[in-house]
Parts: sequence; C-alpha cells; structure tokens
Amino acid sequence: MAFYVDIRRCIGCRSCEVACERVHGGRGHVQVHFVGDSASVPLFCHHCEEASCATACSFGALFKEGERTAFDVEKCTGCGLCSLACPFGVVWTDKIAHKCDLCDGRPEPTCVATCPADALSTDFDLLARRARSRAARAAAQGGRR
Amino acid sequence: MTKVLVPTVCPYCGAGCGFFVAVERERAVGIEYMPDHPVGEGALCSKGNASLEILHHQERLTSPLKRKGDGWAKMTWDEAIGLVARGIGEAIREDGPDKVAFLASSKCTNEENYLIQKLARLLGTPHIDNCARLCHAPSVVGLNRSLGAAGMTNPIPDVANSRCIFIIGSNLAENHPVISRWVHRAKDAGAVVIVADPRATPTSWMADIFLQLTPGTDVALLNGIAHQIIKEGLMDREYIAERTRGFEEFEESIREFTPEKAAEITGVPAEEIIRAARAYASSPASTILYSMGITQHTTGTENVQAVSNLALITGQIGRPGTGVMPLRGQNNVQGACDMGALAEFYPGYRRADDPGTIEFFSAAWEAPALPTSPGLTATEMIGAAASGDIRAMYIVGEDPANSDPSSLSVKSALEALDFLVVQDIFMTATAQAADVVLPAAAWAEKEGSFTNTERRVQWSSKAVEPPGSALPDLEIICMVARSLGLDFDYPDAASVLAEINRTVPQYAGITRERLAKEGGLVWPCPSCDHPGTPILHSSGFRLADGRAYIVPVPYRPAAEGQSPEYPFLLTTGRIALHHNAGSMTRRSPSLIGRAPDLFVEINPADAEKLGIGDGDLVDVSTERGVAQAAARLTEGMKRGVVFMPFHFPGTNILTTEAADPEARIPEFKVSACRIARRN
Repeated sequence: MAFYVDIRRCIGCRSCEVACERVHGGRGHVQVHFVGDSASVPLFCHHCEEASCATACSFGALFKEGERTAFDVEKCTGCGLCSLACPFGVVWTDKIAHKCDLCDGRPEPTCVATCPADALSTDFDLLARRARSRAARAAAQGGRR
Repeated sequence: MTKVLVPTVCPYCGAGCGFFVAVERERAVGIEYMPDHPVGEGALCSKGNASLEILHHQERLTSPLKRKGDGWAKMTWDEAIGLVARGIGEAIREDGPDKVAFLASSKCTNEENYLIQKLARLLGTPHIDNCARLCHAPSVVGLNRSLGAAGMTNPIPDVANSRCIFIIGSNLAENHPVISRWVHRAKDAGAVVIVADPRATPTSWMADIFLQLTPGTDVALLNGIAHQIIKEGLMDREYIAERTRGFEEFEESIREFTPEKAAEITGVPAEEIIRAARAYASSPASTILYSMGITQHTTGTENVQAVSNLALITGQIGRPGTGVMPLRGQNNVQGACDMGALAEFYPGYRRADDPGTIEFFSAAWEAPALPTSPGLTATEMIGAAASGDIRAMYIVGEDPANSDPSSLSVKSALEALDFLVVQDIFMTATAQAADVVLPAAAWAEKEGSFTNTERRVQWSSKAVEPPGSALPDLEIICMVARSLGLDFDYPDAASVLAEINRTVPQYAGITRERLAKEGGLVWPCPSCDHPGTPILHSSGFRLADGRAYIVPVPYRPAAEGQSPEYPFLLTTGRIALHHNAGSMTRRSPSLIGRAPDLFVEINPADAEKLGIGDGDLVDVSTERGVAQAAARLTEGMKRGVVFMPFHFPGTNILTTEAADPEARIPEFKVSACRIARRN
C-alpha cells in the first residue's frame, strides 16, 4: 500500500506534517512545499518500485517488503547514503535514517486520515478517476480547467 | 495499560470536528480520528492535531492568583472567590449594577455561557457580551432581520450538493480547512467556484472565477452582481413574489449599479462581475459562504444584507446545495450567541428590549428585577472602562488586550478599572491587567455541549483532570454566584442543559441523552422527538407573513481610505497554523515552530518602490501606533493593500476602532497605514 496526492486539492494547511510528527514522536516524514503563491504539495516517500534508497543502503536497513520500502532501524548506521540517493529528498538522516513507514499498525497512514481537503488517498483509482474527469471537463469547455 | 478513547469536540474553529482523546494513566497521550463524524469525516487540520499540546502545557494556570506588587501571589479558591465576590459586590453596592460588565466566552460550553449571562443579568447588569461582537455580530443583526434566523442555513457537507459556490470574505481553506473537502467534492461534480477576496489565498486556488476586490467595497461588488442578475432576468420571479418583500425598492436602489460602476469602485473587471452573476444566478443550486471579510467592516451589517439579497432574489435558499453560510470562527461562538451572551439578546435571541422577554425570564428564573434594555457591547465596554462608566469587569476566556482594535488603548482601559477578574487557561495579556486571575479547565478537562457553525450541538466529554487546582468554568461561575447570594445549584453541565431545554425553544429537544449520539443534533429542535433542522427556511421564514426581507443597501466607503500620509490599506485575517489572539496556538510548539513571526504581505511592485525586500523587517504604522513585522512579498496581494495576520500582539495595535453603527463590530479589515523598512 502506497498513498498518493491530488495536488489540485492540497490547501497547504500542513496538517499532514503536524499529524505525522505527532504519531512519530516529534519527527515527521512529510514536508509541505509551496510553489510560489499558487499551489502547495506535500512531499513524502513514494515507496518506489525500484527504491534507490534501498539500492544505496549497504547494510540492508532499507529494503522492499511487498509494495512498501521498509526500514530496519537496528541495521542503520546513519551513513546518509539513502538521503543522497532519494530522488525526491524525502529520506532524512539525523543520526539514523528517517522516512515514511506508512504508519505501520494503523488502518491507514495518519496523514491520509487527517487531510482536511481530502488531497491524500491510498486509492490510486480514485485519484486517476478525478484526474480523468477534470481533463474531460477541460476538453469539453475548451479551456485550461 | 489500557487506553481509553474519550469523544471531544475540537477547541479551535467553528467547524466542530470531533476526535477522540486517548487517555492513559490519566494523561492525554494521543488523538484518534472519528471517521464517521458528519463534518470532518475523521479529518483534522494542523491546529486540531496539535490541540493536546495545550493540555499539559507548562504555562497553564494552576492556581488562583492575586496581584502582589508587580507580581502575583497564589491563593486558595476560598480566598479567591471571597475576593471576587467582594470586588464585584462592592462595585454593585457603591456604583450600581450597571457599572459592572461581563464578557462570556465563545470557547466555553453552552452551559457555561448560559450561566455567565444568567449571573450577569441576575446581578442586575445588562452588560454581557462575547467576542462574537468581533466576528459575526453583523450576521446576528442582518440575518435575523432579513431571514429571521442568524445561523448558517445549510450544513457544511451540503456544500457538496452545490453547483455554484460563492465564497466571499472567507479564507476557509486556512481557517476552516475541512470545509474545503466539501467544496472539492462539489467541484468534482462540476460546480463552479467563485472567490472574492483582496488577496490570493489557498481558498482562491480553488476558484474558477477570482474577484480581487479592494477592501471595504463588498456592497458595491454584490450590488453590481445583483444589478446584472436583474438586468438579464436571471432572478427567480416566482420565489420573489411568494417568499419575499422589498424587491421593488431593492431593484430601484441598484438601478444605477451597473457592473461597470461596481468595477470602478471595487477594482474588479466588469466582465468578471458579469461572469460571476451568471454563474451564481443560473446554477440549479448556489450557495454563498462568507466570513469576517464580510462582517468586520463599518458596513458589516449592510454587507451581510447584500449577501442575503443575492440569495433571495435568485431563490438560492431553503434547498439542498443552496444557502447563506456565515462561517463562525470559534468552537462555540454560535452557542455563546444562542445562549444569550449578547448585549441585545436574552437566550434564544429574545430581544432584551421586548417586555415579553423580561416577563418570560423573570418567571423562569424567579427574578423580579432583570435589566430591561440592551447592554454595552464588548468593544463599548472597553470604552466605558476607559471613561469610568464601567468600574468592574469579569472576563471569561477572552483576550481583548490582543483581540480588540487599537489594542494599546484597550490595555490602559483595563488598567483603569477598579476591579478586574480574568478567568482563563493561560496568563493572557488581558489577565496581566487583572486583580484576580482564576485558572480554568480546557475543553478536554470538562464536559458540556458546543454548537458549531452549522448549528450542530455536540456533547464533548471530559478526558483528563485540569492541571493543579484549575476548575471547569461552570464550577467557578457557580461558586462566584453563590458567594454573591444567588441560588446557583447546578451539580453538572447536564443539569444546566435541562434548564436550557426549558428556556431556549430552539434547544428544547436537545437533551443530554440525545447528545450521546456521535454527530449531535442541529437546532432548531423544538421537541424530544424532533430530528433537528439541518436546512433552514425550506418552508418560509420566521418573519411577518413568513416572508424574507430584501433590504436595499446603498454603498458607503470604509471609514478610512488611502491618504498621502497613509498610502496603503491594511487588511487583517488568519492563517492556517494559528487561531485568533493566539493564546493557545502561540504556545503550541508544532504550530508556533512553523509560523513563528508576525509578517506583512505586500505586492512586490509596492515593496520595490519602498526599497523593501522579502524578509526585511518593516514598521507598519497607523494613527493608532506602530508594529514591527517581516515583509513577505507576494504577487497574490492587490497593489496598494497589505495584509497582516491578527494572531500576534502587533497587529491590533494598528486597527481602527471605527465600528458598524448597528452591530458595533470594528472595521478590522480596513485601516490606512504606511510602511517603512527598519534601519
């Protein structure tokens, strides 16, 4: 299970950041970035199919486990190669590596559950449907939306 | 160790999201979401997620305090209540009850607000108000007049059923974030979103049509839209004939108000005004959401009236997906008003100057000598404190020293009082001026009902004990009342709600037992078998002949305009990470860490002329004073207008006391100012 963002919906409220921090003992794994004054987007681990962080990790601390990129804190040496390897800048190293764990043990990631604007979802098909219907409307109206 | 999940209502905005506080060993250890909640569906904004940070906060007030020299001395509750009774009692005996004023709190429960206003009125003073005066007093006055009820007409989730959503003077994406999920749901189904605001905000990101008007020109914009609707015959003639009165005078009053004239005043291109008029009037279901960008003006009541005029001439009210939706700012500002913590209304919006009201409450409270006229409003009380007409004040959970306009003069007014009691959870700037400070319980440390912006009454349970010897406001009010010789025998919130069921018709069927259900009940709920009324006005209005009133509103400019000395218009508002005067959010590490400083937004072209770069420290000055802020350059700001959030003490030093003549709300949204880079 991974989760996805509908950037059309993100309102930049940073609720995902605060919620993630709250359930991870003060260390969050989401960062909301602002694109000028016109949009915002939460950045978080995509649990890549071919995870460069896992490839880079010489100690087996980061590894693929089904769809997710898992992390074994016991094996982490804090070398920081994973942070350098991540193309999205969402693996951080501060003594050890920190990244999204999909809120292991919870029914869904906390950021997804808390997003006020419903911008985050684990349902890829839902987001794809929304995007397609937006595109269809834009085409029908001959405009950019 | 077992974890217990206690259902509570979020202490921040008026959306009324619910969540569970997880309690372990008598400490609040976490939050669990409430996926079945009707408003938020489990979602919480950043403030909701951070709310537990204030429960066990080290700066919480834990003991009653009295002033001792320049500092404070702790005292027992017995001593504290004795001091309060003596201070208030002496003022009443020596100067008369009308020299004493009470401020109730839109953060307290319905039961607590009911008791505070009852205490004030039983003591004989008409001066009771709450900070609704600073946010939605014009909605109370304006909507009561035009629609016969002063609440949001439709539920928040009903926004999803709308096909045109007109958001004016509200940055709901930051201030009521969960509402944006319903706006987006409507957009998914093809709804058009119109946003009118002097600044581009995350709310305007959702807009199909963005009307960037000059602050204080809302009536001109709304009249221009109405003119175009009538000109194109897009009004609902049948609805106007059957359900309203006043249309002819209204039509006459805006005959000259063409979109071109509106464009000249507002700075919004006429073609955009025409687009908005067509979208709003021709959609099968249109709703208007508004907030303090409409109300916080010297023309606040007129702005509200102009909003409801649009809904009435197009018949966009009384059905799913339609409505007039004032978004209230605090978790119980709706309830504080419903409970009569207002200068001009007894509980249930019974007018204070109506002899029938006095007769009813004299009988209900067995009190022969109730005050028979409207009292001073929240801001008038401060003026009266400065002039000596008010000698003692009892302020519960409000911080006028930060939240009122021209705040430097507020502080000196509070210091001029003979006696000031402040009851709060933190040592606020207002409490700093008090003689006695009483430590209160926060939302999760007590129980009671809260009414959200859509009139939904929800029960919030007690999760943990208050810190130290702090007590729920309800217990404190009862102790004070008893020490002043009143018979306040209320063992718990449920017993107060039972009295509210008898005295407030809208709440007659909203009993403690029925509130046990998640999601609560929506007033009016006149009897115990009534399901509540999510949509108002579906079968006429509670006014003469059941008709709503279309009121002509001429355009008047704001009290202050640009001048050579003060060439900019300062407008104020809120940001996602803070709440109101900030006494809670500025102490919440995960919020203040993300938004630590006061800033002023300015258009880059304006900044360049002044030699101001992004991040530069600037002095913003008005006739009232000077505040320091960091410049934030943004194209989203209209030229000639600057914006500051009011969560930091600096902002309200600058704002004007000029107020709406009827609703007495200050014009926080327009102050003439100048800006200079600090050397």
